[in-house]
This record gives sequence, structure tokens and C-alpha cells, in this order.
Amino acid sequence: MVCKAQRQNEGVNDDIDDLIRLDLFRRQIEIRHCEQRAYDLFLQNLVKGTSHLSLGQEAIASGFATAMKEGDKSFCTYRGHAHTLARGAPMHAVLGELMQKDCGLMRGKGGSMHLTDVDHGVMGSYAIIGAHLPIAVGSAWRAQYLGDDDVTTAFFGDGTTNIGAFHEALNYAAVFKLPVVFVCENNFYMEYTPISEITAVENPAADRASAYGLESILIDGNDADVVYRTAQAAYAKARAGHGPSLIECKTYRHSGHSRADPGAYRPDGELDDWKTNRDPIKIYRARLKEFGISEDVINEIDAKALAQVDEATERAKASGFPPANILATDVYADGGWAWRN
Amino acid sequence: MAELTYREAVAAGIAQEMERDERVAFIGEDIARAGGVFKATVGLLEKFGSKRVIDTPISEEAILGAAMGAAMTGMRPIAEIMFSDFLAVCWDFIANEMSKSRYMSNGQLPCPLVVRTANGGGSRFGAQHSQSVENWAMMIPGIKVIAPSTPADVKGLLAASVRDDNPVIFFEHKSLYATKGEVPDGEYIDKLGTAKIVRVGGDATILALALMVPRALQAAEKLKVETGIDCEVIDVRSLVPLDTQTILSSVAKTGRLFTVEENPRLCGWGAEIASIVADEAFWDLDGPIVRITTPHIPLPAADNLEDLALPDAARVFETVRKVMG
Amino acid sequence: MNVLMPQLGETVTEGTISRWFKVVGDKISAGEALLEIETDKTSMEVESIESGVVAEICAQMGAVVPVGNVIAVIAAVDAPTREFELSKPTGADGNVGEVEDLYGAVVTPLKNFGQVRTENGLRITPLARRVAERDGVDIQALARDLAERGVTKIYRDDVCSADQISSSTSIPTSASISATSSGSERIKLNRMRRSTGAHLAQSWSEVPHVFQAVDVEMDKVERVRKQMNVHASVTGGVRLTYLAFVSRAVCLAVRSFPLINAHMDGDALIVHHGVHLGVAVDLDYQGLVVPVIRNADGLNVMGLAREIESAVERARRGALIEDDLSGGTYTISNSGSFGTLFTVPIINRPQVAILSTDGIRKRPVVVEADEGDSIAIRPVGIIGQSFDHRAFDGAYSAAYLRELKQILETRDWSAEIDAHT
Repeated sequence: MVCKAQRQNEGVNDDIDDLIRLDLFRRQIEIRHCEQRAYDLFLQNLVKGTSHLSLGQEAIASGFATAMKEGDKSFCTYRGHAHTLARGAPMHAVLGELMQKDCGLMRGKGGSMHLTDVDHGVMGSYAIIGAHLPIAVGSAWRAQYLGDDDVTTAFFGDGTTNIGAFHEALNYAAVFKLPVVFVCENNFYMEYTPISEITAVENPAADRASAYGLESILIDGNDADVVYRTAQAAYAKARAGHGPSLIECKTYRHSGHSRADPGAYRPDGELDDWKTNRDPIKIYRARLKEFGISEDVINEIDAKALAQVDEATERAKASGFPPANILATDVYADGGWAWRN
Repeated sequence: MAELTYREAVAAGIAQEMERDERVAFIGEDIARAGGVFKATVGLLEKFGSKRVIDTPISEEAILGAAMGAAMTGMRPIAEIMFSDFLAVCWDFIANEMSKSRYMSNGQLPCPLVVRTANGGGSRFGAQHSQSVENWAMMIPGIKVIAPSTPADVKGLLAASVRDDNPVIFFEHKSLYATKGEVPDGEYIDKLGTAKIVRVGGDATILALALMVPRALQAAEKLKVETGIDCEVIDVRSLVPLDTQTILSSVAKTGRLFTVEENPRLCGWGAEIASIVADEAFWDLDGPIVRITTPHIPLPAADNLEDLALPDAARVFETVRKVMG
Repeated sequence: MNVLMPQLGETVTEGTISRWFKVVGDKISAGEALLEIETDKTSMEVESIESGVVAEICAQMGAVVPVGNVIAVIAAVDAPTREFELSKPTGADGNVGEVEDLYGAVVTPLKNFGQVRTENGLRITPLARRVAERDGVDIQALARDLAERGVTKIYRDDVCSADQISSSTSIPTSASISATSSGSERIKLNRMRRSTGAHLAQSWSEVPHVFQAVDVEMDKVERVRKQMNVHASVTGGVRLTYLAFVSRAVCLAVRSFPLINAHMDGDALIVHHGVHLGVAVDLDYQGLVVPVIRNADGLNVMGLAREIESAVERARRGALIEDDLSGGTYTISNSGSFGTLFTVPIINRPQVAILSTDGIRKRPVVVEADEGDSIAIRPVGIIGQSFDHRAFDGAYSAAYLRELKQILETRDWSAEIDAHT
């Protein structure tokens, strides 16, 4: 897949406030440093089990999270660290969960694939492909039903567009005009297979929108400004009661499908091309400078993010492991697991 | 007290809860305008309106997913899956999602919802529309599983299920919809996790569920009259949570256990109870535990063939008589 | 810092070092490739996390190393020192902490009752084995008898019939059967009877028993009892028996006569502070058990009635456990329901006394008054006590009985009951 700069409103782009831009950058660089740290920690055998990194896909998480309001709900897949961090979940709790420590977001009971932080609107990360789309639809139904004004966002990959639950969720949301935004992060590979080989249309999400009466939206997922702008429009539409949106963001992942996969199925040079020319962090550094933000300020944000990651790492390392007495808690609403009297 | 049919009791139970709590809404296929394919939800659309009683597309995964997402964020929905056989179509949401989200999130994500479904055979719908699948649900940790046999139990247990903060799978029996029974007037709430002794006896304990309860009672009457064997019949009603105390006390009294299960033999709900009794109550047993079940085959469509497959009162009578000697 | 062999795949347990990009002494920067690793699934480059100098290479090219082992050491050079405040470890180590009984969701009974096959090859159900042990039935002998009749499996009923000695439900009168060969039957005593018999014989022969009795007018008790039982039949509460009142009176009387609630220990008397009351329960004429109501002195009449009812029910059901039968400090034997006049009970060693309550019947009693004596009809019963004369004398025992009588006849029973309903 040859990467090409795709910019909306090329040449304009001055509608975004500087403070928002700093936020967009801050979120991306925090994700970058934290995900990189997760990778390093796995090499040291401190991050266990399985882990799906979002390196290279930071702009999507950052763009949407920055456009969200407090109280908005988000659902994501097992590749959910970025989305969890972007909504403000504490770093030490994210790293802690990956390291199976008691300080983890779910005290080690969910693991990397199920990061959940309800306090920050992260309503779970889901490992069964497509399952969270109908669930996100349910959250949006609730908003419409109770008259709440929050919007629900569901993030998923290109592979998800071929599973049944995707289609059921899109149709249902469109029929009932629910305030939900479906975001497809097309990184061109469904696990180890190029998406184009197993999808009947070229753009797995954007080309299917019309099947549900929705507008086809296809954007450069590595430009945080573009993502932010698109997100804002979709959220405004949803909050006004005009129903769901389906947005396809083109992006690329720097690491393998999971940290166990070195990604050798990608053609030579493809990764380097994206890393050199379409890295979202590089793009955004340049963008900030373009809008007059000084190198010092940018570096300060960068350094602060790294320091936060360092502190979070030490804190997670210092935490104990989950105690045995939480093994059977919270199976049922009463906190217990009893199935008999 | 009023005499209601089992299907009227379903609508009454849903109505009672929807009246009481604004957060309760009801979704499913053909449940609103048509009042349900089994006419079990007639009148609800008229009473509560289309915002709260919703006809969905044929999208079992979306139905359960939507119910779960709504329950997770503040509602208390009821979702219908038309035939319990179709649970297989959206099984991910029962086995992997709603049963585990609270645990995996360490208590952050609640799921107060009810999935009601028409279960069981005897209505000649053939292999894919007649199964008894309570045992499929029984074996998933994190949910509750209910199967009432009378109109009163339908209303009371459905109310209790809606009020329960956990995901509850509520198995109505399609061949019981036309049966009648006395239902208490006014607000009526029963208790999940309780079995009912529907016939007191001292010689043997017979456990039954849903459609098998009236058949077990018939067999018990015949046994008493023709052989003197006096059976205690227990309507299990709730598979999870299981009222083991009532069952164990009964076996301690009688020393004998039989189960009458509509599900096919392997891993039926009675197998688990038999194992618990054979363990905890081993020293109360005066004879083998015997399970009377549908054979391990798909169900046929023809009347006479289906009748041969499902346990009937005659088969229960014969088995108990033969085993008790 | 140590460089470890990384986990390359979820099921991978080892990797092969295919190439080192550095040698010992080389400088390396964070992010620079250090070595290449191969597993049977894939190969990948591993970057160094820190900057520094390669201090040690622990595994050579071609070596197969388990995941997690140290393969190199990098000495950090000019590494910026970062000060972090380590937060307190949260939670405990994975091994510490109470695991509730997760693995005991189904409770397996640990007491076993014999073998499934008898010596002569008959099979016996679990329930039959348990009942046989409870009732002291000789399983092997029973099995021999049954085998002669062609039986192959032994059920509970078989054991109970054997236990009944004869197939009729009449009261066995083994005491009056003489040992002549014709016109008599040899009835072997069941195990329970054999063991309690030995205990009773020893008690009788070793303890100097003295018996004393008082007759007690139970009209006040009767009035309250009747009232409460009407109430109970409506509410489903516990029914009050005379025994509950007597038990309560015993607990109260013993406060003034503590030596009654004691046991002999050689040349000393062990006086107990709490009253653990044994209540003799007849098991359908098959034998006696004496379940103990612990801390009976802490219960009022209602509480005692409840405890007695529960103990008797468990005794009849065969559900008493070791704990239920031990630790008694005083015993009451109640023959009242049979209408006896009085009974001289045998002391339950090593306790020093035992009470007997007998039939309560309407009798004419003399009521004394200043205006003159008159006759009234009142329910009256004899309460007697056998005591160990080594522990105390007749005067002490008699005074205790007088106290007991006084309590039963004059206590404000309705006040006690009202306080708790």
C-alpha cells in the first residue's frame, strides 16, 4: 500500500484553536511513549500475556478523544491501549494492567485486551471481533431513550467490517437514528492478511456506508487535525439527533498484529515508507511549528509525556500482584460468585 | 387472584415492571405491533408506546448487544429472542459478553437485563425450533437461568428477573403458553433461586422443569394409586442460582432421586444436580440416581415421533416403578 | 541492565540466537538493534532499550535459550539519573490473601460408613450403611441372614427391620424373656443399647445414688403454656412443653445451688459455671441419646423450647454429631408423656445429679388460707432427682428441689414470655 498524503481542505486548516492543537499533540505523544514503553517492558518479560499495540495509529485515538465531551462513551477493540489513554485513564493503571499488577485498571482480572475505565467513559475493550458494535448501539439507544446528550463511539479495525455484527449494528443504528459514531481504523491488514485480499470492496468501511443509507467518509487517519475536524462534525450530527456516522480512517501500524508478530508479511519498504513519510507524530510536530508553536514548547510536552510514562512505569513495577482473594469477586452484582444455596 | 394463561402472565409481568420503572424497555422481533409470534406480549405497545416497546430487524446479535449496551449505561431492558434455538445465533453475547463484562472490568460494568425466549418442544416445530436449551445457559458462569412452569411463576419470576441486577435468561415454554393458572392480583414478585415442592411425598424425589412438571405430577399420582409409591415432586424453577437445599433436604427424606428433563441426555441440567447429590448427599442415597430424558437425538417434526422423544407421564411412571422395584 | 530472551509468541518457550550485531565493549544506543532471534515460527530483530556499552554476552550465536533467560548485559554509561518517588506497593503478593472456599462449592462428606460389599458379597446402599452404623446393626450378620433368603442388595429398610428386632412394632420386652429353648426368642441387643448399657451399669454400681422428689403444682405454668401454644398454632412458632419450663427453672435454681451443676473428678468436684443441659431422647424404644443444649443458662423459656425441639428432631432423624452429645453438665430425663408417677433415674456419669420429670395430672390439692383450708383441682407432677451422695448431702439436694418447686410454682412466667414476643 503506497502511502499518500490525503488532506482535506488543503491549504486552509486554521480553524483549530492552538490549545486544542497542543492537546491533540499531547495525547498522541503520550500514547506513543506509553506504547513504546509497553513494548520495552514485554522484552523484559514484565508485560505478560498478549498485547496489541497502536504505534502509528495515535492520531485517530487523539483526534476523536479531543473532540469528545466529558460523559461521552467509547468502546474499542483489544487494540485499545491508545483509546484508553486518550480518554484520560491513568498511565500507571494501564501499564499496571498489562503487567498483571494489582494497581491495574481492572486489578489484573481483564488484561490488555479488555481495558475498561468507566470513570473516563471507556466502556470496555472487546476481544471478540465486532461484538462491541451492537453494544455501542445499545449505549446510544440509552442516550436517546433517557434523553441524555452523550454520544457513543465504537472504534474497530478493517477486518471487523466483514463480520455479521458489524452489519447488524450499522443497520440498527441507522434505522433508529441513534447517536453513535462508528470509526474504522483501516491499517490495511486484517491480522496477517492484507485486507484487500478478503474484502469485496476497496474501502472496507467507506464503501459500505451507502448500504446503510450513510454518507461515505474516508479520511487520512494520520493527520490529527483532519481526524479532529471529522469527529467534531460527526458528534454534532449525533447530538442534534441526526443519527450515526461511519468514518474510515486510513492509517498504518508500526508493530506487528500483536507483540508476538514481527510483521514479516508486509512487503519490503512499506513500513519504512509509512514511518518516514506518514508518521502521525512527525506530521503533527511539523503542523505545530507551521502554526507558530515553538520547538521548545513542543519538546517540553514531549519530555513531560516521557517523564509521566517513566513515573507510571516505576509505580506499576512497585505494585504488588493481585491478591488471591479477588479471584472470585464481581461475577455477580452482589460482588460474589454463588450459584447455589 | 385471577385466572390467567401462561402467555397472559408474560405480558402482565412485563407490564407490571414497565409501569413501575421508566428504565425498563422491551425489544424483539414482532413483539410490538403483532404482540409476539406466540401472542405473549399482546397489548404492551398500546399501553406503553413505540418508544418503550420496539420491533427490531431480524438481528439477534444487535438485539442482545443493544440490550447489553443499554443495561451497561443505565437502563434495565428486556430483550426477546423468539425461539430459544436462536440463542445459538447470538451466543457470543451470552457466553462471552454479558456474562463476563462485570468480572473482566473488576465490577465497573453492570448488566441488569432479561433475555426472554420461547423454549422447548411439543408444538411440532421441528428440530431447529423445539429445543430445550436451559442447560446451554446453565453452564456459563455469570448469568442466572430461570424456567417457570405455571402462570403465577411466570409473572412472579419475570418480575424478580427484571429487578435483579444481573443478566437473567428467562426460558418460557412455548407448549405451556395456553395453560391456565391462578395468579395473585396486584404487584407480585417471586424469588429467584428457589425451587417449589409441588407434591409432598416420602418414597422418592422427582425433579422436573417447565413442561416436565405437569407430567411428573401425573406420573406421581398414578404411582401412588397403583403402586403405593409416594413421590415428592419438585419444580426446580431456577437452575442458576440453584436451590440445592430444597433438593438435598428432599433426598435426605426419601433416599431416592429421579430427574425428568426435556433436554437431550448429554450434559442435561439433571446431570449436574445428580452429581451434586451423589457427592454431598451420598450417604442419603438408598438407590441409584436416575435421569429420565429425551434421547440424545435431534427432535423430529411428526406428532407421533416427537411424542416418543420427549419424556411423558407414562415413561416417568414406568421408570420409577421399575427402579423402585 | 539485563537483556532477556523475549517472549516471541504466545506458545513459544525458547528462541535461537541467530546473530549478534554487537560484541562486548561496543557502544549501543537505545533503539539500536542488538541481536536477531529466531523461533520455529518467525525471526525478529531485538533493539536495546537503554544506551550504554555491551558488558557481557551470555549466549552465543546458535544457542537455544529459554524465554526469560539473560542473554546479555548492558552497562549504562552517562545514563541520566531520574529520581522517582516509588509509590507504596498496592495489594499483596499473589500468594497471600484468603481464598474463600472456591474449591468447596460442593461439600463432600468426609465420614465414611463401611464398605460397599459385605463379607459375603452382598452390596449395601450408602444410606443403609449409615443407618446400620447409627443403630449398631451388625451388617455382616444381617448380610448372612439376607443371603440365605436370596437377597443380593441391602437397603435401608432391610437394616431398619433388622434393627427392630422383630418385624412387629410392639415394644420389645427383652427383660422378661427367659432363656428357655422353647417358647422364647433370643434378641441380640443393638449396639447403641450395648454401649449405653455398660455406661449405665457402671454408673449404678460405682455411684452412691440417693433419690429425692417433690410434687409441683403446675397451674401457673399451664396457664402460660396454653396461652402461648394457642398463639403458636396461629403464627407457626415453637410450642412450649413442660420440659422447657423445667429446664428454665433448673438453670435458675442452679444459681443458688452451684454444686448441682458439677462433675466428680476423683476426690474433687468440678463445678461448672455454664449450664450445658443434656436432654434424654428416646429413639422409638431402640435406645437413648442425650443431646446437649450448650449454655442453656443463657436461654429463656422460648429459647429452650426451640433448642429442645431442634435437638429432639435431629436425634430422631439420626443427624446428631459428636459435638451435640458431649460436654453436658446436668441431665434431665423426661418420662412425663408416658404418665409415670415418678422415676429414679440413673446418673449420667461423671455428672453428679440427674433430674426426672414425670406425668402431670390433675389432682386435688389443699389450698391453705387464713379463712380456712379448701380443696382445689390443679395439674400436679412429681419432679425427682438422683444425686451422687459423695458430692453433697440430702439437705443440699432437698433445698435445691424446694427452690426448683418454688420457681415453677411462683415465677412470673408470662412476664418472661412477654418480654420476648
